[in-house]
Amino acid sequence: MAALASSSSSSSLLFTSPPSKLSSPSLYPLPRLSFPITSFLSSPLSISPSSLPYPTTSTRYSPFTVRAAAADKKTVLILNTNSGGHAVIGFYFAKQLLGSGHEVTVMTVGDEGSDKMKKPPFNRFSEITSAGGKTVWGDPADVGNVVAGAPFDVVLDNNGKDLDTVRPVVDWAKSSGVKQFLFISSAGIYKPTDEPPHVEGDIVKADAGHVGVEKYIAEVFSSWSIFRPQYMIGSGNNKDCEEWFFDRIVRNRPVPIPGSGMQLTNIAHVRDLSSMLTLAVEKPEAAASNIFNCVSDRAVTLDGMARLCAEAAGLPVEIVHYDPKAAGIDARKAFPFRNMHFYAEPRAAKDILGWEGTTNLPEDLKERFEEYVKVGRDKKPMKFEIDDKILDALKVPVAV
Amino acid sequence: MRGCGCNQGCGVDGRCLILIVCCKTLEMTNKTYHSTKPKEKAKAWQSWWCCSQQSSLSSPSSPPLSPTSMAPSSPKSRQFTSSGLDRGSLSYKRKVCHPKGALHVVAASGTKKTLIMGGTRFIGVFLSRLLVKEGHQVTLFTRGKAPVTQQLPGESDSDYSDFKSEILHLKGDRQDFEFVKSSLSAEGYDVVYDINGREAAEVEPILDALPNLEQFIYCSSAGVYLKSDILPHCEVDAVDPKSRHKGKLNTESLLEARGVNWTSLRPVYIYGPLNYNPVEEWFFHRLKAGRPIPIPNSGVQITQLGHVKDLATAFVQVLGNEKASKQVFNISGEKYVTFDGLAKACAKAGGFPEPEIIHYNPKEFDFGKKKAFPFRDQHFFASVEKAKHVLGWKPEFDLVEGLADSYNLDFGRGTYRKEADFTTDDMILNKSFALQS
Repeated sequence: MAALASSSSSSSLLFTSPPSKLSSPSLYPLPRLSFPITSFLSSPLSISPSSLPYPTTSTRYSPFTVRAAAADKKTVLILNTNSGGHAVIGFYFAKQLLGSGHEVTVMTVGDEGSDKMKKPPFNRFSEITSAGGKTVWGDPADVGNVVAGAPFDVVLDNNGKDLDTVRPVVDWAKSSGVKQFLFISSAGIYKPTDEPPHVEGDIVKADAGHVGVEKYIAEVFSSWSIFRPQYMIGSGNNKDCEEWFFDRIVRNRPVPIPGSGMQLTNIAHVRDLSSMLTLAVEKPEAAASNIFNCVSDRAVTLDGMARLCAEAAGLPVEIVHYDPKAAGIDARKAFPFRNMHFYAEPRAAKDILGWEGTTNLPEDLKERFEEYVKVGRDKKPMKFEIDDKILDALKVPVAV
Repeated sequence: MRGCGCNQGCGVDGRCLILIVCCKTLEMTNKTYHSTKPKEKAKAWQSWWCCSQQSSLSSPSSPPLSPTSMAPSSPKSRQFTSSGLDRGSLSYKRKVCHPKGALHVVAASGTKKTLIMGGTRFIGVFLSRLLVKEGHQVTLFTRGKAPVTQQLPGESDSDYSDFKSEILHLKGDRQDFEFVKSSLSAEGYDVVYDINGREAAEVEPILDALPNLEQFIYCSSAGVYLKSDILPHCEVDAVDPKSRHKGKLNTESLLEARGVNWTSLRPVYIYGPLNYNPVEEWFFHRLKAGRPIPIPNSGVQITQLGHVKDLATAFVQVLGNEKASKQVFNISGEKYVTFDGLAKACAKAGGFPEPEIIHYNPKEFDFGKKKAFPFRDQHFFASVEKAKHVLGWKPEFDLVEGLADSYNLDFGRGTYRKEADFTTDDMILNKSFALQS
């Protein structure tokens, strides 16, 4: 890697650690975490992390090793959905809390014996129990009985999308003396805007189910926090995210993306969501009465996500754009992300909780791809019926 | 036809009621300026700094604004005194006493002998006023091609004369490095604001001349960031050594290498009254002419505008601020905007009806040397969270307010920098029309 040529003869490059393997700067900005590497490669402006008053992320996420003091130890109930993109949030949150010395019960909706429990993260619940957590199953409307009357300091509802589902949980929590109520809502409730990003306090769609829940929680509890996530990646995910791209890239198939491909979205590693929730538990006064966009602090374009997945796989990618209407396609079925800018920023978490994001898509996707291959999904036979319909409409050839 | 210029389509020859009210409102504020009571004077100045955005925001059908709606106690003018700006007691002698609660951007240090490289065109015009108000001694280094001072639209006579009597001028060409070095060395300055520097070589003689310089504050550019699929640009992100703005990058390196106490601000697209870059002006020309707005490709490209007054405030807030020492800060608006959204915001700000937007594929045209659209055809925006967290700075203008401020104080009064040129628009529209017919 050539040293940066600079027209200023007196520029100096400050290294704080030897640069590790580097990728060409033209593909994507270097990982934020590798601070000195960024400095070496492209910025003559190098500041050693120690001189920075501004908090930067200099370490990757590692399991918490500080145990909560006895007085700060909380008993936490996580009411978890049994499917969908949010399921994995409860899994990471549980493990993080346990690692910090808190007591955790995870109540999953439905039956322990159901087929849904054969999928991740549920098929990895031994990781929760071996860390000292309890796992139970049942109906949220019956939560009091399911958790057998045990007292909790904190409840996280990571399940309900409407008031009918969440109300019984809120009511039970209040009556049983729960102090802090947390709710996983959705950034999808923000009204579309010409002026991104979605920031906490922006107008939401009045008719969205989550909105009714948010309002009710705020009425009933004084110590409440609401978290609005977008998309996430991470081992144990119940719903495909990056896999959608990998499936096509490893099979040398074009990646059909609706619209211009410039739409911005937010794809966070679930550990970032978990750390935000944990901070709320550990700083309840600060977190109280606040809404937090539960997302990473960078957005990515749809095209960019395809490119990053290809980079992570070490393979080329062919992106094909299409107009869903013209192709007669329901984009929601054809593509896993919204066909519009869907972009929130985690400003409240940073301002109020002192939260820092660690999501680093280039690095995180490499790990995801390793697992993708490890479980043999790259070899799995697959059909791409909707893709084929799109490509046919566009007359794009597909390599056999 | 001689319209009144109110842009509400009134058709009145001479001034219509709306424009009269607008001017009257400012006249009202002017009257207050002439008051000798410092509190009222400071409030009026504050009102002028923030107030203009209100005038054109009323829709054509709503009644004209009454003067009382511009009262300094309105939320907009209160907004300016935000947390983090008022940093406590003043430790230097001042001619005018600024009462508590009025606008001030309190410097953390005493009176500084300050040099601004530039200062007569756009950013510096506002920055110099803030610095003078803070009691600093301010010299503008320019060739003298533009008048050293000019009264700003809406600026009271007394405020302008106060400013004019305090500001100093050092006439010279900054490309004459020997002159820069000798003249600055002879004067000695505590602080230099380099607002118009482009290349590192231009900065060397300044540093050479001022070995005891307390702070060098540089106007860099977010254009240094490497284009990315991952956004927003943050100060820690990769920069592009090949960008058009590499001179700015090289300057930042030089500052770091020379060990001087430097601060670098990276704005995105700056806008506001007196803008010489046809950013908002480009839209206003088309809106006024009732023309469609041609926007390349999808129109969902995201950009970001930052008001010049907010930038000026940031420049003052880093002065003598330890937290700004050897730091880079992105400075721009808190929210970003799509190209389509910006067209709509400009219309709203100027009281125009919602515009017709035409999308086109730039690849299908050869515009020659002409620029068909004033923004880079890509996402381009930067996070200002660092400045907010570290400096406590916060932009006061949101997009429509800021555009209205620009409109009311500049384009809406009939002033602009570049004549309208619809050549490229017509190429696009003709092709688009041809396709439809």
